[in-house]
Amino acid sequence: MKNSDLTSVANDPDLATAAKRGKLKRLIAEWPQLGIVAALIVTVLVFTAIDPAFFSGYNFINIFLQSSVTAILAMAEAIVIITAGIDLSIGSAVALTAVVVGLLLKAGYPIPIAMFGSLLAGATAGLLNGIIITTTRITPFVVTLGTMSIFSGLALIISNGQTVYGLPPHFSDLLAGSIGRLPIPVVIALCVLAITWVVIRTTKLGEYLIAIGGAREVARLAGIRVALYTAAAYVISSALASVAAMITVARLSAADPIIGSDLLLPAVAAAVMGGADLMGGEGSMLGAVIGALLIATLQAGLTFLNVQAFYQQVAIGLVIILALLFNRLQKSRA
Amino acid sequence: MQQQTKRSLLVLDGVSKVWPGVRALQDVRLELFPGEIHALIGENGAGKSTLLKILFGVHIADSGTLHINEQHVKLTSPAEAISHGISMVHQELSLVPQLSAVQNIVLGRERSVAGFIDWSAARKVALAALAKLDFTANPHVPIRRLSVGQQQLVELARALAVDAKVIIMDEPTASLSSHESEKLFAILKELRNSGHSILYVSHRLAEVLDLADRATVLRDGNLIGTVLRGPNLTEKSLVRMMVGRGLEDQANPPNVDPGEIMLRVERISRRGAFKDVSFQLRRGEIVGVAGMVGAGRTEVARGIVGADTLDAGKIFVREKEVNFASPADSVKIGIAFLTEDRKHQGLALRMSLAKNITLPNPPSKFGFIDRSQQNDLAKANLAKASSKTPAERLAGKLSGGNQQKVVLAKWLLTNSEIFIFDEPTRGIDVGAKAEIYALMRQLADDGAAILMISSELPELMRMSDRVLVMREGRQVAEIPRIEATEERIVAYATGGAT
Repeated sequence: MKNSDLTSVANDPDLATAAKRGKLKRLIAEWPQLGIVAALIVTVLVFTAIDPAFFSGYNFINIFLQSSVTAILAMAEAIVIITAGIDLSIGSAVALTAVVVGLLLKAGYPIPIAMFGSLLAGATAGLLNGIIITTTRITPFVVTLGTMSIFSGLALIISNGQTVYGLPPHFSDLLAGSIGRLPIPVVIALCVLAITWVVIRTTKLGEYLIAIGGAREVARLAGIRVALYTAAAYVISSALASVAAMITVARLSAADPIIGSDLLLPAVAAAVMGGADLMGGEGSMLGAVIGALLIATLQAGLTFLNVQAFYQQVAIGLVIILALLFNRLQKSRA
Repeated sequence: MQQQTKRSLLVLDGVSKVWPGVRALQDVRLELFPGEIHALIGENGAGKSTLLKILFGVHIADSGTLHINEQHVKLTSPAEAISHGISMVHQELSLVPQLSAVQNIVLGRERSVAGFIDWSAARKVALAALAKLDFTANPHVPIRRLSVGQQQLVELARALAVDAKVIIMDEPTASLSSHESEKLFAILKELRNSGHSILYVSHRLAEVLDLADRATVLRDGNLIGTVLRGPNLTEKSLVRMMVGRGLEDQANPPNVDPGEIMLRVERISRRGAFKDVSFQLRRGEIVGVAGMVGAGRTEVARGIVGADTLDAGKIFVREKEVNFASPADSVKIGIAFLTEDRKHQGLALRMSLAKNITLPNPPSKFGFIDRSQQNDLAKANLAKASSKTPAERLAGKLSGGNQQKVVLAKWLLTNSEIFIFDEPTRGIDVGAKAEIYALMRQLADDGAAILMISSELPELMRMSDRVLVMREGRQVAEIPRIEATEERIVAYATGGAT
């Protein structure tokens, strides 16, 4: 008798039309990205209320463009955080891979080769993180703190401490141009979102990353090769750092070896605001992107209102804490 | 009987395993035939879990061989065990809380095309396995939102979903209702009839008698014997094999003249942990609490001291009703709780003994800690606890026995009169054990009231004036010392005597 209930649930997970309204309400209340989306909407509304000129297509496209690099790094960070780890070296990996692509281009290699070289450098850097973390069992925080210094040192060494200029203009057209009114960095960020979303939601890799972060020993007992998959998360993270690096290099037409220093914090903040749980097992790609959008919107809005940069930092910090507080209240209520 | 003519499916032979300071298994042999339910029984600490984990590749034996279908096999990880057709239902839930029932059931063996999980196949397999059980919850929401009983069913479905040749079950019924258990037994019998071999661990002897074709008994890491279903497979014979004979420990003289009632609890309950527990504790008395792991003994202690909230019941200290909101309240009124887990709950391992001992109330002058008084207090109380370790030593550098003395010294300083010891000699070597026993007796003789939770029967027999027995969250017996025998305690603790 109870079996029949079960099969009916199985055949139609969304049955019970009677309770559908209540269910929708509950779904919204339990939607982990509710806080961040609300914060984004409120922020836009506040800026618009202060100055209606803020609400313009030009402004929004600019915000999308400004947030694209942070969004890619936030997704990379979220993938690592899902495994209950963290990648503090991501900013330095950006600097390293930026210099690599810059030097290869300057040396006259074709653009595809230079891009591949940068991706390879990123993947190798991530593999180094992964191998150290899984073989020594030192916590990811400490390992990536170490490699953060190593990667930024390497970036300075191979670039001789100099910004690499004189890159082929084709490269900038390719990665920093626009399709119609849509900037290419935004298109790339959306592609990364689509791919990582599919990976996390529908592939073994994504499933295992969640399992490892949620309950490492359980995953091991289920026969999952925990070290392999954990290392994969760091490889993906650093490879995405290379994607972000190439966009940045294309936009500046230069590869600066100290570019990465202020990229780490927004990336982690956006990932966590977007629902990534530092204890592991949870994280959202879409949430990370919305987190990055929120930070970019705040920066754009405060600049638009001529608020001094120093005050901007304080305001952004406050909003980050408020968004996380909301997440926490929502979770403890559920 | 006819099984002896069958070829064995799996043979473990000469398996030994030593943990630091403990011999967990010694030269154990275990043989499984296809189509049998084989029970593995023994007291807490007999080595059952270690044996199961070796068989599942979680631990690696120091010596011994494993043959599956007469092929020599070496298992070094659960993944290898699974690939050899062994699956395991773990005692603690081994599910990922963030994943749904369906996702958990197929975890680690998802069918996939180019890395993409075939969810319709996964759903089919998982729901078919769940349908065999009485699973009524939503199989698509994260399992942390399900009840523990439903989660346990998911755990079972995991094992059923892989058509494993050998299914290991470590106390699968511990958190199931009797109806759910019945259902499980029917499934196990079906699996046996279709040729699966099931290795079944349970503390409930009635279940074993009902289900098992054979039963293997372990005691102190040694194989005591394997009994075939038949006239020899009785409750009495199993209990005798589990407990063994020869009670070499000499009992302490019973306390004939207990004093005033220090602690009285009346029908205290905590949902999901224990129900309707009542007892009293007199000055000068040591009352033992027996029961299998998971019977709710530690939970009762935590409830009494206010570490967990009670759902019902009353607590009286010196016949005055009390209501503890947190352990701070019970400490103030003079109850000391010496936890089982000294390393995480009893001591700050990186602090000196002096700092540890005075932690509840460091001596101070004008807000600054008075180091010399701190040292004097620590020294005096260490001496009372018969510890000769210098007070400057770091707590983490001490052996288990000495750590226990330090914890005791800490509580002596708080002028406690009611002591609750949870597994006071776990991980402590034999010599130090005797010292701890003497200290506890001395405490009682000096007028303290002591509640001692222990899984070691000889210890309970030796120390207790009375023994309370718990099973599955219920208080099932109170046995006065003169009537307490190991057989009787085990019978109550396992549900043999009702």
